[in-house]
Amino acid sequence: MRKDRLVEVLRKNAVTVMFVLLCLGGMAVSGQTTAYVTYELFGRLARNAFLVLALIIPIVAGMGINFAVTIGAMAAQIAVLWVIEWGVSGIAGFTLAALLTMPIAMFFGFLIGNLLNKMKGQEMIGGMILGYFANGLYQLLFLFIFGNLIPLKTPGLVIMGSTGVANTIDLSTERGFKYALDGIWRLPFGSALYVVCAAVAVVTVVMMAAKKTSAKKGGIILATAAALCLLYQIPAVAQLFSMVQVPMATFIVIGALCLFNVGIMRTRLGQQFRAVGQNRTVANAAGINVDRVRVIAIMISTVLAGWGQLIFVQNMGSFQTYGAHEQVGLYAGAAILVGGASIKRATNSQALLGCILFHLLFIVAPSAGKNLFGDAAIGEYFRVFVSYGVIAMALVMHAWSGHSKKKSQKA
Amino acid sequence: MTGKKTRIVIAAVLLIAAVALIALGAINMPRRTGEQGEAILDTLRIRSLLNATGDGVVESYVAIAKKEATAAAKAAGGGMSAIREAVAKAEEETRARYSNTTTDYASLDTTELSAAVTAYAQALAAYDAAAAEAEEAYAAAHIEEAEAAAQAEREARIAAGEEVGEETEVEVDMSGFVATQEMIDLQAKADERYASVGAALSSIYPVLDESALTTLKETITSISYQRGDTFTAQYDRYIAMGSGAALTNGTSAFMIRYADDMIYIGLALVVAVLVLLFYETLVAKLGIPRVIIGVFFILLCFMALLYDLSLPTLLSNTVVRMGMNSIMVLAMVPGIQCGISLNLGLPIGLVCGLIGGLLTIEWSIPGVWGFLFAIAVGVVLAAGAGYLYGLLLNRLKGEEMSVTTYVGFSIVSLMCIAWLVLPFRSLKLRWPLGTGLRNTIGLDSTNFAHILDDFLSFKIAGFEVPTGLLLFMALACALVWLFSRSKTGIAMQAVGANPRFAEATGINVDKMRIIGTMLSTVLGAIGILVYSQSYGFMQLYTAPRQMGFIAASAILIGGASTSRCKISHVVIGTFLFQGVLTLGMPVANVLVPGSTISETLRILISNGIILYALTKSGGESRA
Repeated sequence: MRKDRLVEVLRKNAVTVMFVLLCLGGMAVSGQTTAYVTYELFGRLARNAFLVLALIIPIVAGMGINFAVTIGAMAAQIAVLWVIEWGVSGIAGFTLAALLTMPIAMFFGFLIGNLLNKMKGQEMIGGMILGYFANGLYQLLFLFIFGNLIPLKTPGLVIMGSTGVANTIDLSTERGFKYALDGIWRLPFGSALYVVCAAVAVVTVVMMAAKKTSAKKGGIILATAAALCLLYQIPAVAQLFSMVQVPMATFIVIGALCLFNVGIMRTRLGQQFRAVGQNRTVANAAGINVDRVRVIAIMISTVLAGWGQLIFVQNMGSFQTYGAHEQVGLYAGAAILVGGASIKRATNSQALLGCILFHLLFIVAPSAGKNLFGDAAIGEYFRVFVSYGVIAMALVMHAWSGHSKKKSQKA
Repeated sequence: MTGKKTRIVIAAVLLIAAVALIALGAINMPRRTGEQGEAILDTLRIRSLLNATGDGVVESYVAIAKKEATAAAKAAGGGMSAIREAVAKAEEETRARYSNTTTDYASLDTTELSAAVTAYAQALAAYDAAAAEAEEAYAAAHIEEAEAAAQAEREARIAAGEEVGEETEVEVDMSGFVATQEMIDLQAKADERYASVGAALSSIYPVLDESALTTLKETITSISYQRGDTFTAQYDRYIAMGSGAALTNGTSAFMIRYADDMIYIGLALVVAVLVLLFYETLVAKLGIPRVIIGVFFILLCFMALLYDLSLPTLLSNTVVRMGMNSIMVLAMVPGIQCGISLNLGLPIGLVCGLIGGLLTIEWSIPGVWGFLFAIAVGVVLAAGAGYLYGLLLNRLKGEEMSVTTYVGFSIVSLMCIAWLVLPFRSLKLRWPLGTGLRNTIGLDSTNFAHILDDFLSFKIAGFEVPTGLLLFMALACALVWLFSRSKTGIAMQAVGANPRFAEATGINVDKMRIIGTMLSTVLGAIGILVYSQSYGFMQLYTAPRQMGFIAASAILIGGASTSRCKISHVVIGTFLFQGVLTLGMPVANVLVPGSTISETLRILISNGIILYALTKSGGESRA
């Protein structure tokens, strides 16, 4: 009985398990020190986790992976361009960009949602192609409207002798807002761990006092926190994280989004998302305006994706004007699937786990490829292959299980 | 109803404008070669000449003044610095005096000059014609030599490991060209005529001496005649020199100059009127996107004419690009017919075709046999891959599109790794230093470059017809059409149209879908080879990724939906799509120089039409 269950769990999480093995193998071959890998990993996690978490709501609402998050990223980049043009820097610039992103992304999300309502059942391919289409409009905007019809004054945004906005937008100048969020509060890993454990402990104690958490569950949480802190006292473990500097503010924002994702599901709207996701016909019969709920889901996702791109951009310090948004949907979608989500179900923990595993592979793949085959390019292509392959596999497995269900029902 | 009325009113107004424009154009067009045109050109030419020589005249005065000043200073016994000062002062004064005086052109008698210049221009034209003929003969005599040299150089560069571009038109080195006797005679005659021009000019500006005329010769020659002169070219040249003021009747000259453009705009308006009048029928028959793209294509044609781009060349390029893409678009047909909808996993077939092509080059199989060999290998591989792919798709009924896209993408990136590690040896394929195959592999005459394009190709009026390519396309279309009329083909279409009904009538649904998928994949493999031979390159790595989308959008533009298509959709769609792209690029470059707007255009059209098809095919019906 137990063995059967183990097999069942392994089968259901085949992608995740495979990825764990792949990452472990990659780490072994790559020859990079663990300290370097954790350092890179935390950096990438801070950059990308928000974007991956932005995918959850549309999945719950039954629209699959929202590949149109690329359009949210475009909204963010439009906002960044103008904030730099106005010369608002630092955290003020970041906040302004976030505020500016919101209406733009909401408008885009509204349009996307309405279009996707016309292609129900094909949302994923539709969203992807919509992303490509929007990229064309984006190019039109950045090549022929900004900088030409609407002049830009900031030096460096427009290159003399060529049309449109420059290829790279730099945020590390005094007009930009590089590290605006990351730089607010940075801690070495050890201190960050203590802070987090302490915060968790306080919350748990409060919850237990308010009788919202059972004593058993609270005890386990407290014990785990204490164990983690103790574990960190071992020098060998501390050594693994020696290079990590944790951008606390960014992780607090990511944590807030996780709470938001959980919280919204407890509201009426969240229930509607779930109802629509499970069965549109039933939801419709229950008096839910299915189309409206779907549009709202996409709008929220688009705005979140925009903010996610802002976090990404402020961490990177510069971005490719015409390319930074292109792969956002692909990588975020692949990451969430790697974490064990399907195109029907996704949770915060799946998103975060997927983000960790996926980016772990990104870190180790090039040097692993170099060590194995003598060519870093192989590792590069391999990770692109994995991104596409994971999505293809998830889709195949989903379709497959759908069919076998139908068949077993027939029989 | 009011909408329709306003449309009719607008159409009527536009029609009147169109008729007026065409009439004006038609009246003014013949005047170009007639008396009026001659008179306009003559006036403009003389004014340009006078303007140009006027500058020369000032120079002459300056030279004289300088000489006098030197002499005077010397006579006064000044030193070097005094002379220099005096000269500078004299130059300044003379310039100030003459550049401010405007010549009173009306008072000049230019009859003599006019006759001389016309004669001179004719002599120059005669000389130029002779020179062109002689040069052409020389080039024809030496072309083989040059081609051999270019080929040798190319091979040397490949061996040295450089990236080799597409084979360009070989140019004959003209440094060995010697003027013929006829040219020398004509040159002498032209010189004679120039002397009479000079005489006429000096009678107007007495100050012009022999040496001033010699310096002015080049300017005067380039004003009088340039190779390939037409009415519009000369008119534009003179206007650009600021001679427009010489025209007594500017409006009529303007009308004559822009007569052709007026006809074009008039015709464009007629098209607009037709579209307005039959808007509803058109939309009902063709659907909005096709109307938009069709109108856009026609608009581009007119813009090309307006900007004096060579429309025949552009259309001929369009035909070539239609041919080279057509087989890949045709590959969509069996997919749609058998019910897997748009085969966005086409890259699977493309990769198989590319492997065939690579093997041909690796074993250096020349010419037609090489091409056939590549096709054979591609077909065999694609049939196998298509079979497996079909098995996969059979388990995913109803969700093919998103799965096929990502399966296609994964295969392309998997092959990226394969291109890096496959053990090909030929230096044409590999980087000599570093690992893996080149990004783009240039084909040349020893392989199958342009093997279809050049077969029986001929030229009419600047329009080059790639006969072989078109024949191949027609053959492939005919075969697919025949297949769709065969028993298997009909069964396959039944499966695509209604799988349950087909199953009930005893058709093996899964088998038919596999056949359709295999056929589509095989056509993809052939398609990429046809594409490569015409393009002159094989593109590896990420290049095939978008081609499935391009092919899908082409057939959708042609009028297909995700579940229904005909061969005519392939031809029309490929022509329109490639036409918009081919015409779009030069027109966009005139509008916004050096831009990538045509790439943006491709992205918008290609993805826009797929989105449109999705909104039509999706919706509640599929849920």
